[in-house]
Amino acid sequence: MGIRIDDLTVSYGKENVISGLSLDIPEGCFFTLLGPSGCGKTTLLRTIAGFVPAAGGSLRFGGIDVTRLPPHKRAIGMVFQDYALFPDKTVNRNVAYGLHARGERGPDVARKVAEALERVGLGHLGDRHPAALSGGQRQRVALARALVIKPAVLLMDEPLSNLDAKLRVQIRETITELQREANITTVFVTHDQEEALSMSDLIGVMNKGAIEQLGRPQEIYATPRSGYVADFVGAANRLAARLRPAGGGLVEADFGQGRILATDAREIPAAEGLLILRPESLHLSTAPEQGFQNLPATVRSRQYLGSKTSYRLDLGNGIEVMADLHGPGHDGFAPGAAVSLGIDASEARVIAA
Amino acid sequence: MTASIRTPWFWLTVAALALLSLFVLYPLANILTASVTGDGPSGWARLFDNPKYMQAIGNTLLLATAVTVIATLIGVPMAYVTARHTFPGKGLIALLPLITLVIPEVIAAQTWLMMLGNNGLITRSLREVGIRLPSFYGWFGLITSMSFIYYTYVYIGVVSAIARFDAQLEEAAQSLGTAPGKSRLKVMLPVIMPAILASALLVFTMTVGNFAISMILSHRLPLLSVVTYQAAVAEGASDITMQSTLASVSVLIVMAVLFVNRRIIRRGKYEIVQGRGAKPQPLRGMRGALVAALAGLVVLISLLPLISIIIGAFTASRGPVMQWGSWTLANLERVFVSAPQPLVNSLTYAGIATLISIIFSAMVSYLVVKKPNILTPFVDYVSAIPLALSGTVLGVGLLATFHGGWLPLSGTATIIVLAYVIRRMPFGMRNGQATLHNIPNSLEEASISLGVAPVATFFRVVLPVMLPAIISAAILTWTTTVAELSASILVYSGGRETLPIQVFRLIDSGLMAYASAYGLVLVTVILLPIIIAARVFRIDVFALR
Repeated sequence: MGIRIDDLTVSYGKENVISGLSLDIPEGCFFTLLGPSGCGKTTLLRTIAGFVPAAGGSLRFGGIDVTRLPPHKRAIGMVFQDYALFPDKTVNRNVAYGLHARGERGPDVARKVAEALERVGLGHLGDRHPAALSGGQRQRVALARALVIKPAVLLMDEPLSNLDAKLRVQIRETITELQREANITTVFVTHDQEEALSMSDLIGVMNKGAIEQLGRPQEIYATPRSGYVADFVGAANRLAARLRPAGGGLVEADFGQGRILATDAREIPAAEGLLILRPESLHLSTAPEQGFQNLPATVRSRQYLGSKTSYRLDLGNGIEVMADLHGPGHDGFAPGAAVSLGIDASEARVIAA
Repeated sequence: MTASIRTPWFWLTVAALALLSLFVLYPLANILTASVTGDGPSGWARLFDNPKYMQAIGNTLLLATAVTVIATLIGVPMAYVTARHTFPGKGLIALLPLITLVIPEVIAAQTWLMMLGNNGLITRSLREVGIRLPSFYGWFGLITSMSFIYYTYVYIGVVSAIARFDAQLEEAAQSLGTAPGKSRLKVMLPVIMPAILASALLVFTMTVGNFAISMILSHRLPLLSVVTYQAAVAEGASDITMQSTLASVSVLIVMAVLFVNRRIIRRGKYEIVQGRGAKPQPLRGMRGALVAALAGLVVLISLLPLISIIIGAFTASRGPVMQWGSWTLANLERVFVSAPQPLVNSLTYAGIATLISIIFSAMVSYLVVKKPNILTPFVDYVSAIPLALSGTVLGVGLLATFHGGWLPLSGTATIIVLAYVIRRMPFGMRNGQATLHNIPNSLEEASISLGVAPVATFFRVVLPVMLPAIISAAILTWTTTVAELSASILVYSGGRETLPIQVFRLIDSGLMAYASAYGLVLVTVILLPIIIAARVFRIDVFALR
């Protein structure tokens, strides 16, 4: 079942947290709401769930208007950041809870519960209480509990942020596998760009209660449409620049310390814009290299991070950029060294300021 | 917010607020207004005209000050040594909160009399060797007995503050070059000061509101709660002017104390620093023995009531004369066979009151914490008001409000249960709110998302999680309700005596052996649920305090 949101307004007291938001999430899509805390992503998710009432607009699940429906009648499955397992009930009873609420009884329930737990790899832990499980196991139980009722939509509110880094990657895979298998429309809320990029079919980057950019992960990363998106998804050097069309989809950006040909991703042509340079797209060498646009730079400082080395470069006149060189051997430029910064026109982008 | 009016929660809030207004706000308003309305001169004019009343106020403030100072001087050092050191017999100190909670004040007062009264065991044996103690009635007895009961509140409050105190602060002070003793004084004292002041103020208000000990030991010394009680008994509900005026004075004193308390907290300078507590250091040799002996002495004195009522309950007597050394079962026979009504009454009234109080406070705390609406803050404030009212004040208020009129309750069992519920409900509320704050909202939302309606979710998810805390609260409510005296003695009528009332009346008539027997049964009735909870349900009732 797809989700269709039309002109949605949500307010706390007199203040509109979300105003006039429209969004169409196709059936079976893994949709991620990405943004920093306070951007309204959790509010939007909780409005879809029904825990926050909509002040205006409409919300449809598969064509059925659910705007005025209380949450317990919306057929949602929800996974919470703090797992929200019922501490007094065993794992089995936690998973069976939603089935019991639907009036299902008997061996059928036991079979479905066992299957659901098997699918998240916890078939042997049904008799334990949540307190006896690790964080990762708890979140798997929560996932089984949400999916066993075959909900119309699956809603997840930062489900991985209480877990440690390694576990997070594992459970990410479990979630995407189960989601694809059940082909269930999913809304996933996170502030972690890596989660968003690796799991989603579609990402909506949220800012101040509105969706700033909607697109596939590759689009969001490669062609950010605003400085906010560029900055939030991945690291980005942002330089204010004067722009001049150069033909062939290229634009010449003058940022004061040099001119760079860049790919034009602006929707509205303007003379002023931002030049976006991803740190990992920059090249460093002792002398100008062929095939790049080269700029002279001075190394200010470097941080050796194992798989990469991160350099802070001075382009003169107080303009600084960060450049990442990958591979453990790329820490050869000492602070104070004069280097040549190489920029590829297809990897440099200009956007509206 | 606007949508919340349609929910069942909103209407429950309205119902709770209506009940609280009727049974808490209305009586309180009656007390405050009755001092100036009514025929004849206003209560305040009579208050200032009569030197007895002015003396009573002065004496009460003096007594409260003395008890507060002494209780603090006993409680703080004891808290410090138990929190920071181990010494022989430390486990005994852990019994302290149990003792204060379990022994009703009326029994404590009685046993002090049995030991140190004119005809007391210690008084008499000292007289035989030629030592004459001052009369225990009046200042000596009041200050001694109250200090040895109320220091436990200072102890409990300060012990937890020291345990929470971040020992790293002390280490930081030492690393900066101050000596250990000095750094403790300079760093720890300011941090635990709010806890000391808060518990000292609690002792102050409890002394001002104290009824049982004041009544039994004050003798001819006028005290506020005693003259209020006497005015209420003498005037009954026919003339409530004077008793209301005196009750208003109590309310004003407590309000002043609460105001001071708030000022201290608001100064902000005193912020409790939470952190890693220090590991207790063992005290050995002479110092250890000395500390153990002192602590043991304090505990022994606190335990005295329990020991002496056990002895008293089995000691034969002729009228008021105790025949120490000759044992009998006649006293207990009276409690269970020939005059069991007080026991039956206590069990019935306290049982019903506990049930009502627990249901009401669980429901209202749920509304306040989980379903806040425009009215819940008022419900929260009003339900805390009884904390600031002494039992005597509450009794006067109920008497003034529900005598005749459209809701005539005086003389019924209902008004006793009502007094119990109102006095103890704030404790249940506090407990319920603390528990609910620890239950994340997501738990309920998970249940709702799985298709269970909100009200059903409360019963299927929230209630089971709250249950251990509710059982603890029920036991605490029971123990304090069954011991309640100061409000119920004002509103009861003949035939509805409870155990504490019966003990009080027997002490008043000097029948200490019978009083001990009723007292022993009362203590047993209080203790049993605590023991059962600890043994059967493995619930540590006192962890919640």
